[in-house]
Amino acid sequence: MDNPPPIRTEGLTKHYGSVRALESLDLEVMPGEIFGFLGPNGAGKSTMIRTLLGYLHPTAGGASVLGLDIVEGSVEIRRRVGYLPGGIALYDSLSGADALAYLNDLQGRPPTRREELCDRLQMPASVLKRRVRDYSRGMRQKIGVIQALQHDPDLAILDEPTEGLDPLMQQAFYSIMDDLREAGRTIFFSSHVLSEVERVCDRVAIIRAGHLMALQHVDELLARRKRTINLRWRDGTPDLSSVPGLADVTVQGDRIRATLLGEVAPFVRAVASPQLLDLTIEPARLEEAFLEFYAEDEPAEALRQ
Amino acid sequence: MNGRLLVQTIRWNRIRLLVLVLAGFGWGLLTPVIYSAFSDVFRDMANSGVIPEELMNFGSGSLLTLPGAITIGFQHPLALAFLGIFAVGTTTGAIAGERERGTLEVLLARPLSRRGLYTTVAVAVTLLIAIELVALLGGQLIGILFLGLTGDIDLGGLPLVFANGLLLWGAFAAFGLAASVSFDRHAPALGISLAYVLVNYFLEILGSLWTDVAWSQEYSLFHHFQPNELLTGAPDPIDFVILGAAVLIPVIYALVVFPRRDLAAPD
Repeated sequence: MDNPPPIRTEGLTKHYGSVRALESLDLEVMPGEIFGFLGPNGAGKSTMIRTLLGYLHPTAGGASVLGLDIVEGSVEIRRRVGYLPGGIALYDSLSGADALAYLNDLQGRPPTRREELCDRLQMPASVLKRRVRDYSRGMRQKIGVIQALQHDPDLAILDEPTEGLDPLMQQAFYSIMDDLREAGRTIFFSSHVLSEVERVCDRVAIIRAGHLMALQHVDELLARRKRTINLRWRDGTPDLSSVPGLADVTVQGDRIRATLLGEVAPFVRAVASPQLLDLTIEPARLEEAFLEFYAEDEPAEALRQ
Repeated sequence: MNGRLLVQTIRWNRIRLLVLVLAGFGWGLLTPVIYSAFSDVFRDMANSGVIPEELMNFGSGSLLTLPGAITIGFQHPLALAFLGIFAVGTTTGAIAGERERGTLEVLLARPLSRRGLYTTVAVAVTLLIAIELVALLGGQLIGILFLGLTGDIDLGGLPLVFANGLLLWGAFAAFGLAASVSFDRHAPALGISLAYVLVNYFLEILGSLWTDVAWSQEYSLFHHFQPNELLTGAPDPIDFVILGAAVLIPVIYALVVFPRRDLAAPD
């Protein structure tokens, strides 16, 4: 029998009184993928995660995690999941090592990845001996990441995992994500840092005021975005009339600027000439896709009504 | 119930427990000493009419008999503080406090049911209270033996005193835990639980000092903790029934409400 999707929601709805935090959310996370869950603060990302893990009870609809119903199988789900809460709080009176050991004992699975994670996130024994209360924000976040992944969970749910990490540690974290993907683990990754979602995730869901606005592969999402083109051309201007998707062409002296939607090849063929002095094609960014969903006319508050 | 969580909860309270056990034992030791040294003086004062006999009473205890003095030992504000630290402080901090600090989030990310968490905390607090009661009673017993006062008391009643005391403070602990699962912040849970203990205490003390309102004692849980009766061989089973109900009602409330509560993200 096929493995069930690690996460499946069907009409998942959560209301707080008159506030609609999640509205009929349908999505499926596939085994072995890194799934990005995007949205600004207050969009419903944490509500979704908290509902999946049993902290909140759905108002309507339902969901399953690792094939288990989120209401009936909550304890078993948490046995097999690793969770990093956003802005994690830890037991200040414990040392880093004791906090990890305590949380792992409660998890009830051997900490097979702890040593490797401590090594990669630069948390040596000398640092782990110190009390959590003496840690910087970044060190606490590293402990948070390690406690979520140390037991090698089938599914990791990470809420803003790189918050507080310096750029070096962010890179180390991305590399850990890559390895987990290779090992076939599934990761549900909530963030509002678009560059890291673009770097790490296979698919993304964009949520706005509790509504699912998009659910696509990152590549597909980017393919639908415009690239910005800058080129320098000697003697006149190139004939770009046959290039599909080219728009917003502006000429200033020998400099030409335009946007391109779709395939790059026809454009490159059109400008392949000795007259071409310089060419820059800026990649499409997830940020643009994201902003597009948030720039629509209907304000977020209207969606919540 | 979770064994690892139970051990850690006890461990987090170990320094507090050690201090309170020593203090409780010391206070327990003093109770028969005070009775032995001053009971005749108090009796003379009461007989001479210098001081009304009511003032020799405090709560359900009395300075004129050893069982009465033992009762005062348990109802004195010092004993109230020793036991209240666990019954009110530890219970209200256990869930509302963890929630306020954000650590409940990490704890409940483990395969722990909310009922399991509640039960574990309840067992831990019961153990802490039981140890403190044993320290108090142990101090009193050693004092009685040391001063040779065994003839003034039915020592066979001590296990019942322990059980009666455990029910009384178990009732306050159950209330504290019920408050703890109901609030997102520690302060309101602590406030309402402290108020519950103090109102009960006030009703008990008021009724003992002012005979016109002696009826108020019936409404106090402290009045159903009766070492005086238990150590004179006259226990009233209804006291156990009332205290048992005072334990059960908040326990049932918490077991029903806690799993159904939405735990929104901490601030």
